[in-house]
This record gives sequence, structure tokens and C-alpha cells, in this order.
Amino acid sequence: MRLSIILLLLFNSQYIHAQEDNGELNLQFNIVYNDVQVKAEQLIIHPETKEQIYIDVLKFYVSNIELRTESASILREPESYHLIDISNPASLRIPIKNSTDHSYHSVRFNLGVDSLTSVSGAMGGDLDPTTGMYWTWQSGYINFKIEGRSSRVSTPNQEFQFHLGGYQFPYDALQEIELKTQSGSIIQINLDLAFILDRIDLSESNHIMSPGAKAVLISEKVARSFYTIPQ
Amino acid sequence: MKRTLLILFILSLSLIAFKEGQKSLIQIPQNWPKPVYDLNKNPLSKESIELGRVLFYDPILSKDNSISCASCHSQYNAFTHVDHALSHGINDRIGTRNSPALMNLAWSKSFMWDGAINHLDMQSLAPISHPDEMDESIENVVRKLQSSNIYPELFKAAYGDEKITGEKTLKAISQFMLTLISANSKYDKVIRKEEKFTAQEENGYNLFKLNCSSCHNEPLFTTGEFANNGLSVDTTLNDTGRMKVSGSVSDQYKFKIPTLRNIEFSMPYMHDGRYKKLSQVIEHYTSEKYITATLAYELRSPVKLTSNEKVDLMAFLLTLSDKEFLFNPEFSYPKNILLSNSKEKN
Repeated sequence: MRLSIILLLLFNSQYIHAQEDNGELNLQFNIVYNDVQVKAEQLIIHPETKEQIYIDVLKFYVSNIELRTESASILREPESYHLIDISNPASLRIPIKNSTDHSYHSVRFNLGVDSLTSVSGAMGGDLDPTTGMYWTWQSGYINFKIEGRSSRVSTPNQEFQFHLGGYQFPYDALQEIELKTQSGSIIQINLDLAFILDRIDLSESNHIMSPGAKAVLISEKVARSFYTIPQ
Repeated sequence: MKRTLLILFILSLSLIAFKEGQKSLIQIPQNWPKPVYDLNKNPLSKESIELGRVLFYDPILSKDNSISCASCHSQYNAFTHVDHALSHGINDRIGTRNSPALMNLAWSKSFMWDGAINHLDMQSLAPISHPDEMDESIENVVRKLQSSNIYPELFKAAYGDEKITGEKTLKAISQFMLTLISANSKYDKVIRKEEKFTAQEENGYNLFKLNCSSCHNEPLFTTGEFANNGLSVDTTLNDTGRMKVSGSVSDQYKFKIPTLRNIEFSMPYMHDGRYKKLSQVIEHYTSEKYITATLAYELRSPVKLTSNEKVDLMAFLLTLSDKEFLFNPEFSYPKNILLSNSKEKN
């Protein structure tokens, strides 16, 4: 079983473009479902329950990336805000400047946008409000957005929408994620949507659009759905 | 060597002149606190302010190009919507709150009656996208601006680049709003010892300091905090105010304390615009309140004023009107740009 997963991953890495060798380290995010790479609007079938799922939108912020070596030296990416978007393959790869040393043993990043940036007014680039990741009626970034359809949702259109965010106490939804890595020029990070969707009772809860206790709870589930894979 | 020094000298002179020019774009009134808005993050320029002004008056921000910011924030009413208790949007849709007067926004800690917005830059996103207001998205606004006749040029003048982004759009609107400073009322002139109150106004000022200033404190005439002022709860709207944002029961029925500057012109009053006349507002504060757990401590018993004192208080409140602000041509409809553009289209 374990071998087959690894083989599958090797196969999946075919998707990844051969990178130019400029010595930079890259973080490569792979959006998977039960370890199999998925794309937006592709039919996904749960292997056991036969649940049918489509992902229409999947966007999230990865920020304040840090790389650590065994000797505990830390490389902090400056101005580190990245919008990862399943429908924009280029966004899934983050080159880290000045990262010529590839002996990092862990990577740390935030899932979402920190509170200081959330209260500092209009921002550009990946933080521009036109990305659709800023709430308009109550200030704050959406850290993680997933929208799609599932046969588990009992409403006529079978849609689910989770816009997770919130920076204010006690509903601060920002998640700190730390993952072990192996030496190499690409750090492969999987986000397994099965881990998220299987842990949510979609017949009960299929719609979160504002900060609150539920948003925090699901954000924690999302944070536990990232893992690194061997090279 | 001498030449280099001369060039350096001239350069430094021009830099100083540039800095001075920046400063004079808005004047921080004497003895006012430091602005909350960080001007270093959005350095003012004549061109960006002008761009913001054009955006403020242009209905291009709304879905069907029918209403602009100024539709609900007109200058002669201290940038609020006279005659409308609740704000009106496109297709005559009606919102749930009274549009606030816009002035001295550089000193605002939060925006909206419930403080849901944490920064002036982000404030305009709310009316742009609210279905009962402009019903548009910032993504589409940027698209419309980019393909318009006038905006690429205005953005280039403001930012040195024709590429329009959400950030630049919002920051330009902020720049215009930051210039809306009202600090030249009779009250201000009295404080600066340029004019004198009448005896009636003076008495009203003393009554104000005694009864009103703990929430409407000088010089901004608001603490910027939230309070429950004992209005009866409108059961059709059932607006819980600040509690909607904080989720805390201790914030139930609390609303942003509004400034009293230009109050003569910013009717109707209260978050739901229930009072058309200033006399009704004074009547409210001098009457028994609707008691709920969060009612402001200061209002647990009615403010006691004789009918003469009410008139004196009113006389003082009228000294907060700032005609120079209300009729400042720099804040008005930018005819030269918007009118000529609409003529070209026809």
C-alpha cells in the first residue's frame, strides 16, 4: 500500500515542470484528493462511499514562510504573502530567493494573513482586494476559500462554500503550519482535500462565510491536511 | 567638485520644496491629536487626491452606473444623505442604516455604525459591493476603469503607471476622503480666539461640556467609541449594532458615537435616521430611555435641561457648522473631468 502511494506520487510529480536550475529552493504545493492530484472542476469520486465531488474554487494564502536547518539557522522570506489558486498552476510554486543552501529540515508558514496586515489598509500584489479574498462588509482577509459541489450536500444545487478567516480574538483563524522536509531543491507540500472534506459533515454544515468559532474549527482541520512528501 | 556640490545643493532644495508641498495638501488643525491614518503608507499627492475625487463622484463604481459615493454623501449635507433615514441604493433599494456624514476621517479608528471596517482604505469596498447599495465588485470596477476614456490617464498622473489595481483605486478614494477636514466652524474660531461666542452660545457650550462631552469630546466631537444611547429598538430592523461585529452581548445595541460637527446639515439623526430635527435629538436625551443592560451609564437618568437651556444648547451646536467645508470648491463635483467625459460619450 505504502509503496503504491509513493509510486503514485512519483507519477504525479510528472505534472511538475522541470525547474530551471538557478539554485533557488521552491515550495511546490500539490492539491490532491486521497493522494491523487486534482484540478478545478474535475469529477472526484470517494473510493469507498462513491461520493461525487467537484471543486470549483480553491484559493488560500501562504504567508511568512520560514526555512530552518539542523543548526537552527532560519531563512525568513521577506514580504512573504502568496495566494495559491488551484486554477492558476503558476501560483502553486513559490520560489524562495537567496535559498541556495538546500539542507533545510523544516518549513514553517502561516495559512492566512496575519492580523497586522489585516488592519493596515489596501495592499497590492497577491493581497490586492480584487483577488476576491477580502471581505467587504467586515474587514479582514479570507485565509482559505473552498467552493464546490458534493453529493453529500442535500440542498438542490449540492453546493458547499467555506470562506475561512477572521483575525480578531477569540476567533483568530490564522494557522501556523510546520512541516518536516528533506534536503533538495523542491519541497513538495500536499494539501489533501479528502482530509478536509471527510472531516466535515457536509449534510450539517456546508456554508461558512464569516469569522467565528466554526471558521476556526474548520481552519484547524485544513491546517492538519498539509503534509510534505519524500523527494 | 564645486559643480557637484552645487547640483547637490539644488537637489536638496527641490527635495525640501517637495516635502513642503506634500504637507500643505492637508492641514492638521492646531491642537488636534495625531491622525490615526498612516499617511506614510499612502503619501498624498495632488494628482491622487484629484483621482479620488473623480472616483467619489463617478457612478462608474455602481453596477448599473447609476449612483456614486456622492449620491448618498453630498457635500452640502456634510457628506450624508439628506431626507433619507435609511440609505438608498441602486433600483431604489433601501439599506438598514443612515448614511454617515464624512469628515475628519483621518482620525477615525473604525468605520460604519458598528465599526465593522478597520481601515479607511477598505471602507469603500462595503458600499461598492453591498447589494442594496452599489451592488458591484471591485474586480469589475477595476475592469471598467481600465477600459474607460479618462481613468488610465488619471491613474498614470497619480501613480506613474496606467495599470489600475484595487489597491490604487481604494487608496486614491482614501486620499480624497482624507482631505475632507472640517475645522473652521465658529466654534473653532472661538477656540483660536478669532471670534467670540454670544452669551447664549457660551451658555450652550457650558451645558454641552457638562452633559454631552464625555461621548462627544472635543475637538473631534466623538470619542470614536460605541455606545447604547437608549433608543427604542426598531423591531422591524432589529439591529444589534456593534454586537454583530464583536459577537459579544456586552455590545448589544451599541453604535458608533457620531461627530457633532456640521450637525445642522447632517440630518436625519441616529443610526437609523429616525429623527429629522435636532430638537428631537435633544428631546431624546432629556427624556426617559429605553432600558437595556448595555445602556450608557451617563444616560441612566435623563439629562435635565430647562426649555431655555435646550435653546442655548442648540445655539452652541449650530456653531459647529463649517460653511467653508460645506462649500469648499475643492470637495465638489469635478465638472472639468466628469462633465466633459460624459459629453464626449454623447
